[in-house]
Amino acid sequence: MATARPSSVFISPASLKMGALVVFIALYTAYSSGPFVWVAMMSLRTTTEIAADPYALPWPLHWEKFASAWTDSNYDAYFVNSVTVVLAAVAILTVIGGMAAHCFARYRFRFRGVLYFVIFSTIIFPPQVTVIGLFQILVEYGLYNSRVGLVLVYVSIQLPITIYILEAFFARIPNDLFDAARIDGYSEWSIFWRIALPVALPAISTTIILNTILLWNEFLYAVVLITEDDKRTLPLGVLRFMGDQLEDVGMIATGLMIAIVPVVLIYVFFSERLIQGMTAGAVK
Amino acid sequence: MAVVALDTICKRYPGGSEKAVDSVSFTVADGEFMVLLGPSGCGKSTTLRMIAGLESISSGTIAIDGDRMNGVPAKNRDIAMVFQSYALYPHMTVRDNLGFGLKRRQTDRAEVKRRVEEVAASIGLTDYLGRKPHALSGGQRQRVALGRAIVRDPKVFLFDEPLSNLDAALRVSTRAELVRLHRALTATMIYVTHDQVEAMTMGDRVCIMSEGRIAQIGRPMDVYMHPASTFVARFLGNPPMNLMEGAATETGLRVNDAAVPVATILNSGSAVTVGVRPEDLVPTDKADNALFSGQVTGIEPLGAETLVHVDARDGSPPIIVRGPREVAARLDETIHLACDPAMIRLFDAQTGIAISSKELA
Ligand SMILES: Nc1ncnc2c1ncn2[C@@H]1O[C@H](COP(=O)(O)OP(=O)(O)O)[C@@H](O)[C@H]1O
Ligand SMILES: [Mg+2]
Repeated sequence: MATARPSSVFISPASLKMGALVVFIALYTAYSSGPFVWVAMMSLRTTTEIAADPYALPWPLHWEKFASAWTDSNYDAYFVNSVTVVLAAVAILTVIGGMAAHCFARYRFRFRGVLYFVIFSTIIFPPQVTVIGLFQILVEYGLYNSRVGLVLVYVSIQLPITIYILEAFFARIPNDLFDAARIDGYSEWSIFWRIALPVALPAISTTIILNTILLWNEFLYAVVLITEDDKRTLPLGVLRFMGDQLEDVGMIATGLMIAIVPVVLIYVFFSERLIQGMTAGAVK
Repeated sequence: MAVVALDTICKRYPGGSEKAVDSVSFTVADGEFMVLLGPSGCGKSTTLRMIAGLESISSGTIAIDGDRMNGVPAKNRDIAMVFQSYALYPHMTVRDNLGFGLKRRQTDRAEVKRRVEEVAASIGLTDYLGRKPHALSGGQRQRVALGRAIVRDPKVFLFDEPLSNLDAALRVSTRAELVRLHRALTATMIYVTHDQVEAMTMGDRVCIMSEGRIAQIGRPMDVYMHPASTFVARFLGNPPMNLMEGAATETGLRVNDAAVPVATILNSGSAVTVGVRPEDLVPTDKADNALFSGQVTGIEPLGAETLVHVDARDGSPPIIVRGPREVAARLDETIHLACDPAMIRLFDAQTGIAISSKELA
């Protein structure tokens, strides 16, 4: 029989590496989730308690702050506004972005290059640059302070990246698939709905999740283009608790939690899908 | 039931300097199995796609049953096509793949279901109707692609290298199955391949293409026996036809040292390319009148037959002889080869075009 190794003493380099990795990931997780945990704790404490000790554990738990934000501070309206604006924008983005991506990926037409350039050149401008112009335009067309206006702006700012992600995916769908459908008797229009869109579903869901999260959290355009309280979205809710003199930190934290939790839930349930879509290989 | 007629079809792709298809004309008779054969890039797929309506026609006309098809979209041509990549819809089950085209044309769901199941049974796919393409083997996918064409009962079947993604054994059996299918359906079929074995075994006629043009059209054996050019002579046959230099004489031909009793229309002294199939060459003792003499540089036993490479070592290309399983030739020995004059084919030394010849009595 071979002599047994003193395995209890011996630590292999592989397990050492593994251990270091685990420690690193744990530290990084703590570092990046720190602010979130802190806000979550503050959301259950009153401003007076927070002023006394910013880092103390939340005790007693002030759950009533959520109810108060919802009913007294108009968060119910903000929530409905956020849901409608984001749903509408994402729906329009998905359909228009999908169609545009399909056309860019599949057809050669005149001005294709120019069109592509025009759409994508917009992504180089930071929002601070465009927001002033947008403000003027929306005022001009009576879309200032309107949710429809905000939806249109959201569609336009997210469209380039949506088309970009989808086009890369649509372009990888083999052309034979479309030819087969043509021979099977389908028009270009039905081919888009019945072949291109379903086959590109992983990429479609990626853009849906991505756009939902980004627009749900969007602050800058919303704060400039919406001033009426009843039309505000959730990220603007914090304004409610910011006075000239003092800020109600405890309620801001509560409001933030109301805004964040849906996104976190979406991410938790769909993150696998998201990653799949982003890394998806060629379609067979 | 359909006749497909191509009349001086040309195709120039946008930005392409050369025509991808150049003045191609042929007529496929009703129920005929026509094979388009040629090396990669010679324009076979482009021709097929123009017949299908997937590619625009630069000039010329395509007619099916006398109806001009130029500009008619693919969906209105009543054709079915099997793609090299199979092009199965990845998000649909086998059942939906088979029924997709039918559903478009037929509203009666029960009839679609009946037809799909009937075809699935006929090609052994019944157990796989619920599966998606990614859960099928290569051979099964190929069957689905085939079934998708059959189920539609089209006027014309088009195939673009449908067997090239199968392994060798499956290719042989599917080949036979396609021939059976053609007999059973008595449908007009146009089949693109670069594989000469497929062309020889399946086609009623073969159309050999080269650089966008038709090199020769004919029954497989006719084309094999009487190639219209040195291109066809070398493209068809494995190993290809041996080509040697020769010259016309007063009494016939002179090839190397042999006087060959074959009459030509050529003037005495003019150069000619002489072609002989490897199986038509036989070793001979008579060195003085051998068609070709050279050293044996290679012996390749293939089981059923043996290939012998003979090199004259004078710069002319080596000759390949197809012999029986056991050959007498030994490596490095010098052998002499003769041939039945009836089996000799002649080509213009410059253009490579076949020259008619007649054996002298
Ligand atoms: N979509 C296209 N655009 C430009 N050129 C093409 C296109 N498709 C094929 N070609 C060119 O046309 C020629 C014939 O191609 P193809 O018909 O596919 O040949 P084959 O099927 O015989 O291999 C080739 O030179 C090829 O490069
Ligand atoms: Mg091809």
